[in-house]
Amino acid sequence: MGKVIAVSGKGGVGKTILASLLIRKLVKSGKKSILAIDADPDSNLPDALGVSVERSLGDIREELISKQSEFPPDYSKTAWLEAKVLEIMAEMPSFDVIVMGKPEGPGCYCAVNHMLRSIIDSLPRSYDYIIIDTEAGLEHLSRRTTRGVDDMIVVTDLSVHGFKTAERIKNLSKELGIEFKHLYLVGNRVNPSHEKMISEKIKSTGLEFAGLIPEEKEITEYNLVGKSLLDLPESSLAVKAVDDIAKKIKLI
Amino acid sequence: MSTSGMFADLPVEVGLAYEGERIRKPQMHVELGGPNVKEKFELLRVKSPEEVEDGKITIIGPDVQDLEEGSSVPFGIYIEVSGDKLEVEMEGVMERRIHDFCNYIEGFMHLNQRDSIWLRLDKKAVKKGLNFDVTGKALQRLFKSEMSIIEKMQITFLTEPVEVKKKFQEALDIYEARDARARGMTDNDVDVFYGCTLCQSFAPSHICVISAQRYANCGAISWFDGRAAAKVDPKGPVFEIPKEKCLDEWKGEYEGINKIVSEKSLGEIDRIQLYTAFDYPHTSCGCFEITTFYVPECDGLGVVHRDFKGQTPSGLTFGGLADSTGGGRQVNGFHGISFEYMRSPKFLQVDGGWNRIVWLPTEVKEKMKDYIPKELYDKIATEDDATDIVSLKEFLKEKGHPVVEKWVEKPPDAIEAQTLEAMPVGTISGVGIPSGGITIILKNAKIHAEKVIIKRAK
Repeated sequence: MGKVIAVSGKGGVGKTILASLLIRKLVKSGKKSILAIDADPDSNLPDALGVSVERSLGDIREELISKQSEFPPDYSKTAWLEAKVLEIMAEMPSFDVIVMGKPEGPGCYCAVNHMLRSIIDSLPRSYDYIIIDTEAGLEHLSRRTTRGVDDMIVVTDLSVHGFKTAERIKNLSKELGIEFKHLYLVGNRVNPSHEKMISEKIKSTGLEFAGLIPEEKEITEYNLVGKSLLDLPESSLAVKAVDDIAKKIKLI
Repeated sequence: MSTSGMFADLPVEVGLAYEGERIRKPQMHVELGGPNVKEKFELLRVKSPEEVEDGKITIIGPDVQDLEEGSSVPFGIYIEVSGDKLEVEMEGVMERRIHDFCNYIEGFMHLNQRDSIWLRLDKKAVKKGLNFDVTGKALQRLFKSEMSIIEKMQITFLTEPVEVKKKFQEALDIYEARDARARGMTDNDVDVFYGCTLCQSFAPSHICVISAQRYANCGAISWFDGRAAAKVDPKGPVFEIPKEKCLDEWKGEYEGINKIVSEKSLGEIDRIQLYTAFDYPHTSCGCFEITTFYVPECDGLGVVHRDFKGQTPSGLTFGGLADSTGGGRQVNGFHGISFEYMRSPKFLQVDGGWNRIVWLPTEVKEKMKDYIPKELYDKIATEDDATDIVSLKEFLKEKGHPVVEKWVEKPPDAIEAQTLEAMPVGTISGVGIPSGGITIILKNAKIHAEKVIIKRAK
C-alpha cells in the first residue's frame, strides 16, 4: 500500500502548487511509482506538472452511461471501466496522472460509481505515493472521496476565511469519523514579515504545522506561460520551502 | 488460495496476492493488445475430446522475450477445452476467468475482455523467465483446479500479426453468436434473478429486481452483470434472488422476489409483478432511464426518457413525472424502466406491450426502431405529432392505433353526478394517485362518502 496524501483548502490558496511541488520533490528524489490525482474540477494539476490529459474519469463515466445499452449482454462493465481508467491516465517516466473531471450530470450514477469506487480504492496498491489535489472546500470529506487518505494537508493563505476552512475540515472529518494519521496546515504566500504572526495563528487551529511557502514571482510566471512547476530550479524559495515540508511530514 | 506448491516449478509466483497489480509503462517489457492495437482477442471454445491435446501449448509468432521492448503488439489467446459435462453455453463464463487467472501471475497485468484485452508483462518478471509457456502452464493448472469439469485443455498464443488477424475474425463471429444466444435467454431459462439495492440511499424502499428479461431501471446492470457482481461479493449491494415458486408466469410474479422485496423494503412493498406498470409494478428508484406515464384519456401509456427536455402530452416533463413515481413507490401506470427493458419481449406484456404505447420522444422511437412492431411504428405519436391530449387523441384515431378500439364510441362529456346511499366506495391500500405535481398516498384507507361526484377535468 502506498502513502496517500491529500491537499485541501479553500479555493485559490495554492493547493495545486503544493501538490505539484511535493510531486517534484518525490521525482527529484528518484521515486518512480507516483500517482497524481487531480480531483479539483476548477484547477489544473496536469498543466502544473507539464502533462496533457485529454479525458477525465467523468468523461468515461458519461461514456459508459451513454453506451451501456449497446454492450453485449455478458460483457463486464467493471472490466471495461478498469481498462478505461488506465487508458485515460497520462503515463510519465516517474509518475502517472489521472483527472477526476466534472461532477455528475442528471443521470443515474449509483451503479457506475459503485464500480468505479472499487477500482479507485485499489489504486494505492500499485503505487508507492499517491498525491491528491482535492476540490476546494469540504465536499471531498462528505462525499468520502478522501477516505483512505493517510495524511491531509490543508493549505491556507493569510485570510481569515482560509483558516476557517482549515478548522472546518478538522471538525468535519472528526464528525464524520474520518481518521487521518496526520492533519497538517501549510501557510501559502507568506512574506517573511508575517511569519511570526501566522505561525502563531496556525497553532491556534489545532492542526499540525507543516511549514510556510513564500510568495514567489517565478511560480506566477511559470503558470502564466504554462511551464511545468517540476522544472522550477532548486534555488526557488517555494521549492526549498516545500522540500522542507516534505521532510517535516516524513514524505521522504 | 495457496498456490505456491502447485506452481513451484515456475520461474514466477502465482497467487491471489498479484491480483490488481498494475504495470506502469516504464516497467513494462511489452504490451499485448490494448488501445494502440486493433487486433486482439481472447477466446475459449468447448471442443470434442479428440480435438484437444491436454497440456499442449502452441506459440504462433515470437515469444515474450523476442518481442520488442516497450512495444504494443497484436495478440490472441485461444483456449480449447473438452470434458463430458462441458457445454457451449459455458464458454463465456469460462472465458471471463482468463482475466482473473492471468492476473494471479506475478508481473502479468490483464485488463478488459474479448476483443478489447489489454495485457502488460513486467520487465523483471520476463527477466525471471515469464513467457507464454509459463503463462500457459499457470492457466491450465488454475483452470483445472478451479473447474474440475474441464478434462483437457490446450492453449494457443498468437503474436504473428497475420495469424492474429485470421483468428480475430473468427472470434468476432463467435462473440456475436454468443450474444445472440444470451439475448434470447428468457426468465424461464434461469433459476435465479438478482437484486440491487445501490439506490437505497435515496429510495429506501426500492430494490431493483434484475431478471434475464428485465434490466435494472438504470440500464447499468444486466442479469449477467448481476451474476458477476454477486459472485465477487455475495453480501454486497447486488445479490442473488432465488426465484422459488412461480405465482404468475404471465405477470412475472415469483415467491422468491416477493420475499426479498418485502424484506429489503422493510415491509413497505410486498408484491412485485415484473411485466406490468399496473397493480403491483416494479418500484422506481430515482435514476431510471425512462418513465412511463398513464394517459387516462386514451387508456394508453406514454414513454419519456431523461434527456427529453420538453413537455409530454400529459403536461409534465420527465422531471415532473419522475417525481411522481420515484422513491421506491408503486404508482399505477407510472413506472421507471431502462432502454434495455423496452427491447425485451416481456416489455409490459401484461398491459399490452407496444400496443399500449401511445407516445414517445422521436429520439426513443429512433433508438427502438428495430423493436417496435412494424405495423405500429407509424401509429405511435412523438413530440412532432402531439403535444397535448387533444392532438394525441386525434393522431391516434387518425392512425388507427390499437388503443382506439377500446375507446367508448362517444364518451360522455361529463359523467352525471350520482347519488348513492352512504357506503364505502373503495378500499385503497397503498395506492399513489399521481396528480400533476403532487402525489397523494392512501394506505389502508376506507373512504366513506355521502355523495361521490366524478367530473371531467376542464
